[in-house]
Amino acid sequence: MVDVTLAAVTCAHPSGTMLFPAMWVSATLAEPAHFSWLETGLLAAGIVISLALFFWRFGPILRNILHSKQDADFSLHPVGRRVWDFFWEVLCQGKVIRQRPLPGLAHAFVFWGFLAFALVSSNHIANGLQIGFLSPESSLGKFYFLFAAAWALLVAVGITGLFIRRFFVRPIWFGKKVSIESGWIAFLIFLLMVSYLGAFFVSPGGAAVKALWWTHTLTLLVFLPLIPHTKHLHLVISPVTVFLKRDGFSNIPPLSGDEDFGLVAGKDVTQLISLQVYSCVECGRCTEHCPAANSGKVLNPKEIALGVRSYLNELGPVSDVALLAEARPETAFANLLSMEAAFECTTCGACEYQCPVGIQHVPVIVGLRRGATNTGVWEDTYGTKLFLALEKNGNALGLSAMERDKFIQKEAFPIFDGTQEYCLWLGCMGGYDPKGREIIADFARVMKYLGTTFGVLKKEKCTGDPARRLGNDLVFQTLAEAGLKAFETAKVQKIVAICPHCVRTIANDWREYGIAPEIEHHSEFMARHKDRLPKQASGESIVYHDPCYLGRYRDVYEAPREMVRQAGTLVEAPRSHERSFCCGAGGGLAFLGEEQGERVSHIRAAELAGTGAQVVGTACPFCNTMFRDALAEVSTAPPQLLDIAQLTARALPKMQETGIMDQGTGEQ
Amino acid sequence: MKILVAIKQVPERDAQVHVAADGKWIDESDLNYTINEPDAYALEEALQLKEKTGGEVVVVCAGPERVTSTLREALAKGADRAIHIEADDLGSRDTLGVAQILADAMKSESPDLILTGLQSDDLGLGQTGVVMAELLGIPHATIIMHVEATGSGLKVKRELEDGWFQHVEMPLPALLTIQSGGNKLRYATLMGIKKAKTKETKTVQAAAATAPAIALDRVYLPEKQKKTEMLTGTPDQVAAKIVEKLKFEVRVI
Amino acid sequence: MSGVLVVMEQRGGNWNRMSFEALAAGQQLAAKLGVECSAVVMGEAVGSLASELGSKKLAKIITVEHALLKTYTSDAYVAALEQVVKQASPAYVIFPHTYQVRDFAPALATRFHSVLISDVIAMHDGPVFVRQLLQGKLNADYRQTGAGPCFVSIQAGTFRADAVEAGTSAIEAFAPSLDAAQIRNKPGELFRESAQTVDLSAAPAIVSVGRGIGEQENIALVEELAKALGAELAASRPICDNGWLPMERQVGSSGQTVAPKLYLAVGISGAIQHLVGMKGSKTVIAINKDENAPIFEVADYGVVGDLFEVVPALTKAVLAAKG
Repeated sequence: MVDVTLAAVTCAHPSGTMLFPAMWVSATLAEPAHFSWLETGLLAAGIVISLALFFWRFGPILRNILHSKQDADFSLHPVGRRVWDFFWEVLCQGKVIRQRPLPGLAHAFVFWGFLAFALVSSNHIANGLQIGFLSPESSLGKFYFLFAAAWALLVAVGITGLFIRRFFVRPIWFGKKVSIESGWIAFLIFLLMVSYLGAFFVSPGGAAVKALWWTHTLTLLVFLPLIPHTKHLHLVISPVTVFLKRDGFSNIPPLSGDEDFGLVAGKDVTQLISLQVYSCVECGRCTEHCPAANSGKVLNPKEIALGVRSYLNELGPVSDVALLAEARPETAFANLLSMEAAFECTTCGACEYQCPVGIQHVPVIVGLRRGATNTGVWEDTYGTKLFLALEKNGNALGLSAMERDKFIQKEAFPIFDGTQEYCLWLGCMGGYDPKGREIIADFARVMKYLGTTFGVLKKEKCTGDPARRLGNDLVFQTLAEAGLKAFETAKVQKIVAICPHCVRTIANDWREYGIAPEIEHHSEFMARHKDRLPKQASGESIVYHDPCYLGRYRDVYEAPREMVRQAGTLVEAPRSHERSFCCGAGGGLAFLGEEQGERVSHIRAAELAGTGAQVVGTACPFCNTMFRDALAEVSTAPPQLLDIAQLTARALPKMQETGIMDQGTGEQ
Repeated sequence: MKILVAIKQVPERDAQVHVAADGKWIDESDLNYTINEPDAYALEEALQLKEKTGGEVVVVCAGPERVTSTLREALAKGADRAIHIEADDLGSRDTLGVAQILADAMKSESPDLILTGLQSDDLGLGQTGVVMAELLGIPHATIIMHVEATGSGLKVKRELEDGWFQHVEMPLPALLTIQSGGNKLRYATLMGIKKAKTKETKTVQAAAATAPAIALDRVYLPEKQKKTEMLTGTPDQVAAKIVEKLKFEVRVI
Repeated sequence: MSGVLVVMEQRGGNWNRMSFEALAAGQQLAAKLGVECSAVVMGEAVGSLASELGSKKLAKIITVEHALLKTYTSDAYVAALEQVVKQASPAYVIFPHTYQVRDFAPALATRFHSVLISDVIAMHDGPVFVRQLLQGKLNADYRQTGAGPCFVSIQAGTFRADAVEAGTSAIEAFAPSLDAAQIRNKPGELFRESAQTVDLSAAPAIVSVGRGIGEQENIALVEELAKALGAELAASRPICDNGWLPMERQVGSSGQTVAPKLYLAVGISGAIQHLVGMKGSKTVIAINKDENAPIFEVADYGVVGDLFEVVPALTKAVLAAKG
């Protein structure tokens, strides 16, 4: 970043004493006093040509977007949220700055500078057309031109910094090839600012004034058509993209009609997706936070967006050609959008969370998976085994449902019969996995201690989360409908679960088939009751890992932390909260075979162990499973691994066999 | 090639079974049904043959109304047509009786090849296919792992005991009973289910049952005949106990 | 119709040993009913085999010799046996439940409008024949109700081959009328998939691994135990289907049937298809984390525990004991 010292000088000015970056020679903008009709004519011609060239490229893009398939479930409501997002993300550049502070600020300067310049540029062109409306002599003019000049300086500084970053610092997230076009755009922007600022330093009436004016004008006219030809298209469309983002986070849209199987070919790409991929500025923030891209896999979320864009550019939005690379090896962009990449996604949502222009990657990736799975194109041994296990046994592990029955009997859990307050949802991990069962048993102890009545369903099937994320809508629909019916029959009103995947799927994804009873995660439940739960003075350092499906997906960051604080001293991982690095299990990947490259779980485990904390605190049984072996492999003295339920339950007094804790016998 | 696959709907493998009050069969209330697993492999073999040689795959199933769901699943996996032989009294028919109604329904179809699973998950008699072949007068081969269409018929790989295999050349039409595990099963896809809605399911009535040659008198839970001694303790303690037995009782150490 | 006829099985001049179990069954059934028991042997030249049966207590031994019976085909065997049964007119026809029998016996029964009662595990008074249903979850009593002969096949290990009663018997030749045009299948040579042959039936001790092992790499654990014991390594079908161990190490209804001194089942649930292959073992020790696993039904000693802890501990203890 270029270090610029700003000299603040008190400037005596008719409108009072103001602090400005020093401008020595003249406090007014020198503008050409007079334009000949020839000049005006040339300008008009230039404008026409520039606009024509702009629309020559923008037209087809707009057409691609508008001719894409309609989004099935899109609604402008709630408008309030859209307006807020637009205000915060676009106008305030909130996400841009917060997630990458210095470059973000530089970009913000350029953006705000552009906004400030709107009036100036309009007037500049109007002048040339002999209909100028803002005079440098008027007090408004004097003020505004100086105001714009201040911005011009900030923009010049900002764009120089960004240029240096791209061409000399070369962050890897921008990709291997350096973007020459970005250099040209930076140059043009710099030229625009310099040609504007220069006008403060020349005496009015001279030839220099005209020269500067035409330089500025030509730069504008050249800049305009370049916009749709480059990623700078985002100048025009990304504010719209941010405003029109699909509701919710990583929401998978429903399929529409009997012919819809997901993103199979170009004609399945919807308007929102088209709009989003054309907005991509290739900043690489998505790649930077992607667990797959960071562990040597083929998947790069940026390439997913650019792949769809290349497809639309080459084949259009109504094409029958398959989107996935494996089916169209002869296309120019053959390697982008491969099935291999699509199935490496953990659906952690970090990409989507980071994107400053409103691209929602996860529904696109899941859409590609749907296109492959729903049509039987995806042939994977483990995937097939998973789907058959879900079909036959109703759980993702392929175990007999009797195993869950045995667990319930052993723990003597009451069966939900409509009289209890909560239905405790075990889930596949809670019902069948040994460690998941420990977490359930401990959470049950917490509920008993609090005197909260609960029961478990007699029969439970998987929520369908892995099928949903892997794109198998048939299995998902079967499970979702069965689950909704089970809740209805048992008259369940409130559900609590230990698994963020279950919570997300029941609360959001099941909506496609009906409304489920309200469900919360056990961290939310326990945090609400934390004053009645014992505080431990263990002094143990506990590093908390935010699960993707609880943090980014559900915005729950504090509740589990409160439980961690009650059990010991909270330590934050280097990447925490919305930047938490995935454990690698999501997206159905916990059930697929060996992964390529480094193991995501090991990368995160090393990061957690590296904090030196004595305990790793988790809030998801999948994270727990992934870290179990990983911690042992990345550290010779690995920290303990405990779910927040276990951390809380360890402080509870031992239960009596009978008494107020008793909920009744485990009746069948 | 026109391939007919005889499939059976059976109670789910993991279901808890209770003997019915009259002791003649299991209590069917609260049971979930699914396709007999060896038949799923037979269907998979048929679908793969169709993918290689073209033709048609027709699934046939005898039973009450509930078997139509299994037929639908088969259509969703890729079968072209289904035939439902409506019969509510399968329990009172023996293997010969069931094979007869299947053969009757298949005769008019004039298939090139008939596939069945090698036995059912519930009764496990493992004979229906062979009996059907005999009734239809066509050659058969059992416990088949692999099927290949040749110019003049079929070449199949038959599994024998002790890890032996045998190739058999057969003319068409023929019947094969398919062993599980020969192919990887496919999962039912959404596209398959949607297409299944447009595929034809023909319903035929089963002829009246004749007197069976064998009868199932009663079913009951098996008694444990052996007294198993459970060894308990920590892994090291258990290991020590086992070594004891191995030294002094089994005498292998 | 009267008497019991036992159909013996041979291939290439060697008995399928299960035939003697069927023979014992036939003799016991005949004794109970107070009727005669005979045996039939088919092939191209079975004289020497038939004379081995001369020392067994049988009414007669029927030899059925024909060139077309040299190699097994369903068409030839069914045609020949149909003629034998028509002539001998037994009330009961007993088979060992072998792969070959499964291939032709149902067709034979159909010719007599009868149904084979297959894979029988016990015979009670009546006679009532007991079979297993739902993968061994239930037992069922079957009875012949039709008019034709009763066809029964006996599950491996149900009767002991050494329980065949000694006595004397005479050989009777039967000349079947067979036509090459009747035989529709062309069987090829028998072959094995892998070059090496492992003869589990000769091993005195076998350590067998099942699905409980989880991953292929974990099999090394069990291999070490087998080595320590000087035992052969075997597996249940899923392990071989996955390709983790060769097919020839499979024990079960579709693999080898074994009867060693020691059968140590690790992580094997005890599905019926596996039990059938090893229940004749002298001592069975089972390690499984599920106390309800069916393997414990046939085990002499059982350990309910985590094999990943028990197996290494056992290997260590065995090596220590061997010194």
